[in-house]
Parts: sequence; C-alpha cells; structure tokens
Amino acid sequence: MTTIERPRYRAVGEREPRLEGLHKVTGRSVYAADVQLPGMLHARLVLSPHPHARITALDTEAALGHPGVVAVVTADDLARAARDGSNPARGASNRADALFADREVVFAGQPVAAVLGESYAAAEEGAELVHVEYEMLPAVLDMEAAMEPDSPLARSPVSDIDHTEEDAHVTIDVRSEEAEGRATNIASHVSFERGDLDEGFARADFTVERSYRAALVHQGYIEPHATVAAYDAATGEVSVWTSTQGQFHVRDTLMRLFKLPETKLRVVGCELGGGFGGKMIQSATVATACALVAERPVKLVFTRREDLLAATPTPGSVVRLRSGITSEGDLTALEATVIYDAGAFPGAPAAVGSLLISSFYRWPNLRTDGYEVLTNHVSVGAIRAPGIHNITHALEQQIDAMARGVGLDPADVRLRNAARTGDLMASGKPFPSIGMAETIEAAAAHPIWTRRDAARARSTETTKVGVGLAVSGWLGGLQPASCELMLNSDGTLNAVVGVMDISGVNTSFAQIVAEELAIPVESVSVNTGDTRTAPYAGIAAGSKTTITMGRALREAAIDVREQMFAIAADQLEANPADMVLAEGEVQVAGSPDRALTFRRLAAITTGFGSLYTPIVGKGAISARVQAPGFTAQLAELEVDTVSGNITLTRWATVQDAGYAINPLSVEGQMEGGTGMGIGIGLSEEYLYDDEGHLRNAGLLDYRMPTAADTPDIDSVIVEVPSEEGPYGARGVGEPSITAGGAAIANAIHDALGVRVAEMPATPERVLRALGRLAD
Amino acid sequence: MRHFDYARPTSLAEAVRTLRSLGEGARPLGGGTDLLVQVKEGHLRPAALVSLAGIAELDGVGLAGDGSLRVGARATMQEVADHAAVRERFSALADGAAVVGSYQTRNAATIGGNVCNAAPSADTSPPLVALSARAQIAGVGGEREIAVEELWSGPGRTTLEPGEIVTAFVVPTPPPGSGSHYERHTPRKVMDIAVVGVSTQLTIDGGVVAAARIALGAVAPTVIRAVRAERSLIGRAVSGEVAAEAGRIAASEATPIDDVRGTVAFRRYLVEKMTSASVLRSAERALG
Repeated sequence: MTTIERPRYRAVGEREPRLEGLHKVTGRSVYAADVQLPGMLHARLVLSPHPHARITALDTEAALGHPGVVAVVTADDLARAARDGSNPARGASNRADALFADREVVFAGQPVAAVLGESYAAAEEGAELVHVEYEMLPAVLDMEAAMEPDSPLARSPVSDIDHTEEDAHVTIDVRSEEAEGRATNIASHVSFERGDLDEGFARADFTVERSYRAALVHQGYIEPHATVAAYDAATGEVSVWTSTQGQFHVRDTLMRLFKLPETKLRVVGCELGGGFGGKMIQSATVATACALVAERPVKLVFTRREDLLAATPTPGSVVRLRSGITSEGDLTALEATVIYDAGAFPGAPAAVGSLLISSFYRWPNLRTDGYEVLTNHVSVGAIRAPGIHNITHALEQQIDAMARGVGLDPADVRLRNAARTGDLMASGKPFPSIGMAETIEAAAAHPIWTRRDAARARSTETTKVGVGLAVSGWLGGLQPASCELMLNSDGTLNAVVGVMDISGVNTSFAQIVAEELAIPVESVSVNTGDTRTAPYAGIAAGSKTTITMGRALREAAIDVREQMFAIAADQLEANPADMVLAEGEVQVAGSPDRALTFRRLAAITTGFGSLYTPIVGKGAISARVQAPGFTAQLAELEVDTVSGNITLTRWATVQDAGYAINPLSVEGQMEGGTGMGIGIGLSEEYLYDDEGHLRNAGLLDYRMPTAADTPDIDSVIVEVPSEEGPYGARGVGEPSITAGGAAIANAIHDALGVRVAEMPATPERVLRALGRLAD
Repeated sequence: MRHFDYARPTSLAEAVRTLRSLGEGARPLGGGTDLLVQVKEGHLRPAALVSLAGIAELDGVGLAGDGSLRVGARATMQEVADHAAVRERFSALADGAAVVGSYQTRNAATIGGNVCNAAPSADTSPPLVALSARAQIAGVGGEREIAVEELWSGPGRTTLEPGEIVTAFVVPTPPPGSGSHYERHTPRKVMDIAVVGVSTQLTIDGGVVAAARIALGAVAPTVIRAVRAERSLIGRAVSGEVAAEAGRIAASEATPIDDVRGTVAFRRYLVEKMTSASVLRSAERALG
C-alpha cells in the first residue's frame, strides 16, 4: 500500500489498546442486567401475536391472582406513571412514546402489557395469564402495495412525527414533506431533481434499468435491551440504569413522557453490549413506567426473541433505478425510486437515503423520489449509516453494470464520476472536505483488485471465483458536546464526559488529553458520568463522538494548560507566554530548571490557605461542519454452483478516517462494520409469513455470520483531513457497514455473470439466479 | 423461564422409576443444549426435568468383542467425533457428531439427546440409520432393543413409553469394503442446523455395490430411508451417472415442507445433489 505521510504527534496517532478492554474480556464490566436492587421486581412483557388488530378486552385478573405477581401495567395504567396524570401512550406518533399498544396493535410482537413479579418465573407465568381479546384488522405487509391509494391503512392516523432516530445519526438540511392527515401509508416523501432527465438519457450510450431489494435486518448487538429503574416515593427520585447509546436522550425522553423534573431524575448509562444504532431507548421507558406505577425497583431485560420481535431493527427496501453512461464513462442521468418499509411507526431514513444515492456521483441529470412507507412489520430504527447499505446495494450494482456495459474498469468509472470536496449534493449544499476519490484510488491499487484475473483463473466447473468492488459513504451527525478536565493531586488528570463509550472513544479522549498536556496516556482517566454528574453530551451515534467530544476534550486540555501556565508564570516570575510543557512539568522556555511539576501545581491550587483556584478545565463545542467518511470494499469469493453456497476468500476495507487518532480502534470499527455488511449481504434477513408473523425470531434462523463465515479483513486507512475534526479526524463508526452487501453482489456477478438483485444473497437466491431452481 | 421440578437420580433403575412416577410431563435431561433452550423460550413446558448426569451406565464409547460399536446415550458429541474407531470405521457418525453446534455445544450435547429430541434435522440421526444402528432402551418392564429409525413417530415425538430411557446405540460392524459418509447443507459454515442432511453407507464387493443404506434428514417428519434409491445401486459399479440416478430417485422419495430454512423445491434439489455426492464419497471411503 502507498504510505501516506502522517502528521507526527506524541500520543494521538498511536495504537492504544482500549482502556476498558480488560474489564470486558475478564467479565468485570457492569451491564444494566447486572444491577440488583433490594426489593426489585422483574418485568415480563405480553406481546401481541397479531400484526394488526383492535384490542377489545384486556383481562388481568388471572395474572394478578397468580402467586408472586405484584402488578400488571397496560397502556391505561400509564397515567399513573406520569406525574401530571397525562397518558404518554395516547395517540403516540413515534415508537419511543408508544410504550404499550393503546387499543390498537400495529405489529406482531408489539408490547401490550408488562407483568411485574417477585421473581422472573412468577412474572413470566403471570404474563401467560393476561387475557387479551383481539378483533383482526387487515394487515399491510408489502411496502409497494401499501403505497397504493386504496391500500388499507397500517394504523389509525396520528399527528406529529418525531425525527430523533433520524437526527441522531445524520444532519441534513432536507426535511421530507409529511403526508397530510396520514390518510395514506406514505409517512413521508422526498424528492431531488437536477438537469433534464430526457436529455441525459438521450446522451447515454448505455442504460441500465433494474430493481433491487434489501431485507429488514437487526443490528445484532450481543446484549439485548435492558434497564433497571427505581422510584423512591419518599423523595420523588427516579434512578435508571440502562443500556443506551445516549443517556441524556433517555433522560430527556423520560422527563417528557412522565413529566419528571430533571433534578429528580438520574439516568446511568451502563457499559454497553453493543448498540449499532439500535440502542436508543426501548426498555427504559417501560421499566421506568413500571417502577413509577409499582413504586418498587423494576428490572426489564429483553429476551433475544423479544429483541428481534419488539426492538427497532432497520428497514427493508425496494430501490428502482434507471441510469445512463457514455462510452467514455461519463454518467449522464439517474432516475431513482427509493422505498423504505418503516414498519408500524415512522423512522425510516428516506431523506438521507435519497440524498446520498443522488449525491455520491456527479449526475448532471437526476430525479429521485424517496418514500417512507408504513406497514404492519416491526417499527424500525437506525443502524450504522441507516439506510445506506440499502441504496449502496442498488447504486453500486448499477454502476458496475454500466461500466461493464461500456467495457470500462468499474473502478475507473467510479473515480471519474466520484464526488469531490465542494461538489453540490442533490440538496444543493456543497460537500465539505471528502476523500471519496482517494478511497477509490487506494482500493483500485489493492492486490485483490489488481490481481483479480488471477483469482478468477482459479475457477473450476463447480466453483466460480469473482471479485467485486463497491464504494459508499456517510455524512455523519453533528451535536454540541461538553466535558470537564480536573488536575488530580498526584499530577494526573480526570476527565468527565457524558457520552457513552460504544467504540473505544474514551481511549481516544485520553490520547487527546495526553497529547495536549504532554503526559503519558496512563496519566489520564476518562470517566463516563451519569446525567446528573456529567456535562451534556449527545447520543453516541452518527459517527460523531470523536469528532465532537474529542474537540471538547482538546479544548478542555488547552484550558487546563492555560490555567497551569498562568499559575506557574506567577510562581516562577515569568511571562505565561514563555511557559512550555515537558514531562509532567511546566517550565520556562529555555530554562528547564525553572519549573513546577503538575503535582506541585495541584498542591498549590488545593492546599489550605492556597491563593490559587483549583485547576478545572472546561471544553464545550458546537459542531458546524460534518466530516463525512467514505469506504471502498473489495470482496473475493467462491460460489459453489451446486449448493449455491458462497465462501468469502479475501476482503479489503479501505476507509478515509481523516486522521486515525487510535488506528487500532479505527481498524476495529472498520472490521466490525465490515462484518455486519457481510451478514447483511449473505445471510441476515427478517422472514415473515404471509400473515405478518416473524418466522425467525431467534439467532439460529436469523443468521448472523460467525468467525468461520468472515474472511480476514485487510483494513486500509486513508487519511484526508476533515475541516473541524480534532487533528483532521473523521467519523469512522458507520461507513464500514455500507458497501459489503454491494461488493458481494458485484463479486457474485463477476463469478457467475448473473446478478442477485435481492439481498441477502442466500444459496437459494444464487441458485434461482443461475436458473438451477424453478420458481 | 417457568418453574419446573428437577430430579437427579444416581442409577438407571432410579431414573426409570422417577420418570415413570412423574409421568407425561417429565423429560430426561442430557446435555441440555437443546432441551433447556426450548424450555427457556417457552416451546416446551415440562413439569419436571430428570437429569441423567449421575448415571454412569449411560457413559462411554467403545468396541465390543464382535467389533460392533456401543455408544452410551450420555456420550458427548465431541467424544463421538474424536473417537478413533468411530472416525475410521463408522465415519458417517463422526461426520455428523463433528458438525453439531460449536465446541461448547459438542462438549455438552449428548447423542441420546440429539436422537431422542426427534428433530428430523438432528445430525447424528441419519448416520445412525445409514449405519443400521439399534437403540437399547431401559424401562420399568425391563430392556428392549429396536432399530433406531423406529424411535421416531414424528417431529419431536418418539415411540418411547413414559419411564423409558435410551441407554445406548449399538452399531454393527460394517462388512469389509464398506464406507460411510454424512453431509448437511447449511447457509452458515458452522453454528447452524441442517436444511438437508444426507448419510450413506455402501458395501462394495467385487467392484459392485453389495449393500447400500441412504438416510435423509430434514426432508420428512422423521429421518427416513431412501429405499428405492438404495435399491438402484445394488449390483452396479458406482459411477457419476449411477450416483446421479440414485440422487434423482432419493429426491422423489423425500417429502419436504416449505419452512424458514428452505422451500420444497430447494430441499428436493439438495437431496438430489447431496445424495449423489454422498454416494460417491462413501464409495471412495469403501475403496480407500
């Protein structure tokens, strides 16, 4: 690989093992499900067996009579949870507010009630005794049919739509129009237009028109949703230990739903066993409502089945594309229809998916329509780069097909048409600094790509080898961030942040503080406070944690440094501007013997009768410029043309990290996202029956790839600096998931000469594409 | 998980008495890798579980004096898969035991549990059928022995009477010139369950097939034999064409259903291709 000259620093840019890693691998981390409180009750959920029905009767008497059952909480009981007697579930338009189905169930698996028991078994047995009568309503299960004007409605009309899920991950200026009065299943529609489509297609030497499908998939975090909530009736205090990517988001939601003053509300974000966009809030609302009603601590831990049925997986889609290219390789026109199946509540990323499918390449003429459609499938949420693996699977197969159609190298066509810094997105807003072209160049130079002919030559009669390339990216989110940094009496530093560490960010934060204060990483402790002890932080989502909180930490460290310099200058009778840092000391530049150690600075700022103020740094930033990350991925695979099985033999993930503050951690994100992309590409899929029941609500038949299914991943970091990220860093968490499914699909085509237009590419779909299996 | 009672007898006689007295709602517990998951997920609601962990009579894998193989019901998948004689002479059984779950699963899962759960997709069941294994059963009225395929009456259902426990499987010595094989189709490389499983045993004498057994998994309510496909091989030299013909016949003998793991068409297709491949593989082993 080409070696890119990196800026040299002392602590950032080094490969640091994760600070909390040892706790995790030795089983000492405390997760929400580990929390035990005296007098704690266990909650078990009653789930709707029907995708769409009216609740005509709900009888809790038998459950309440069961030994060990303490209470049953339903939608009607929520008014007892809210401090002002209002009912948060009444007419709830978004999933987070709809704790329990309120008279109407809108997906199979929707929580209808929670049973609280003195033991888990008592609660579970009680849950089976809750008697619910349903009157069936027509279930809307096909997203395209749901768009027809005469389609039955997936749910009764509601008013406002909450966009928190979407905003958590990406900041875009476009806001889709929302259908008036909800008399249709189309929850939102967005469109982009540029140039003249007819003219564009007239100029094309080759056009491709295809339709692509992607399945509804789960984020696949190891730890299911879990919360322990406690209510102290004497003081009115509510404490919540929960598994979330955003403890302040949980706090704000609980405050809003239950009208709790934030002085009485403490949310503790526990160590997180994975989130990937799916861990915003699910169990915390229900557990808190139960604790408020029962006035006892309550633990709610989803089973795996419940997490698959009733959490917020990420949407399936249909993408229809028509596009044209000249024989020189210039893209001329794109006509796109992007449809996401939002499930029963709005929250699908139609706006960003439509924006990015229109903006990655320089289309002189385009028309894109994006739709978010309500159905009676489980309601959806985010995943890494939500919605983008769907559109990438379509767009990158389309680019591949066009390049082959005019006999050009697919990498060259991508590079020729790739968006550059300053190019206008379809929204009219310019791209900030991006490294899409540099990322493609690095992939095109990778041996998997340059030696693909040799790989293909390994093919036999029944084993076909192919290599595929796909490119994608993600804009990332923006949110203010703040932190504190305090000098300890031994000269070390404690940082307090309120953002959840889902990806090793605390380690990167320690590196940043160590860098700015010229001390070893071990001299910095980064602590995740709760919502009453930490300054405000956004959700750990949208690939924005390092680029926002990292900047805040850098500011806090500079603040500490300036305070140290002022005090040291006063003590050493020198000018603050002449102070320098060296080896845990503040020195007068050029006179290393005139120095104060950090330890001494701590002593003279904290001791009895001290004349100086304690050294406490503050970092608070507002983020204005996104730091988009692009990825190019190369899949080499073998297709067994008898069984349809696919074996991935080699893989490379190239990604622009801007500047890798901790390359070890960046590679971890690249490998993790790639693994998820492989699962989406090969085997993961929600399978519903014709009546709308999920048929694979378990990890045996919802197939995530194992280590044996995942090849060694060559992670290649490209560094094109961003404008605002610390040291030029970009968001790295999300881009890696986007391109895997498309790279696999293109490799399958390379191997077989046929396209598998539906993702995942299961053996059965491969055999059907080959014509070996009749429909 | 709901409440259930738990017993841990220390002898076979006590286990039989305990199961008998607890009646229909009681289930024997082997490694628990399947049963406990089903109980936790609410698919099974036994009133009591009777652990077989304390019963030494159910242990062990070994050859008898006549060369037949005895596999105790409590033998773990890993013990079976690693056993030198099983690998060498009863290869299909080693093939099947080696692909169940993960290492952790195989170290806990027992062959008795795998077979008695009566899943048509169980990985050791087709090999036991192909190898003409017999199940030894202890009950209140004494002991009995049946062909292993007579153990199942449907998916998840056995012909065992309340109080009866399978104590061991006895596999006769394959005649000289025999080879056996098991293979399954799964979407994932590991940690998966058979969409289709095929096991074959061939005995080749004087260049032609003298005996053949073909067992199909996950394509009928129980593991079944493809008897007509077996017959098509007798007296013929194994070739690609002969194997392919057996595959086509086997596909017509399968009665698969559409489910979350595969469609009828896909399963029939797999039976054809996999039977053909397995016949060739067993022939190779027979001659090897």
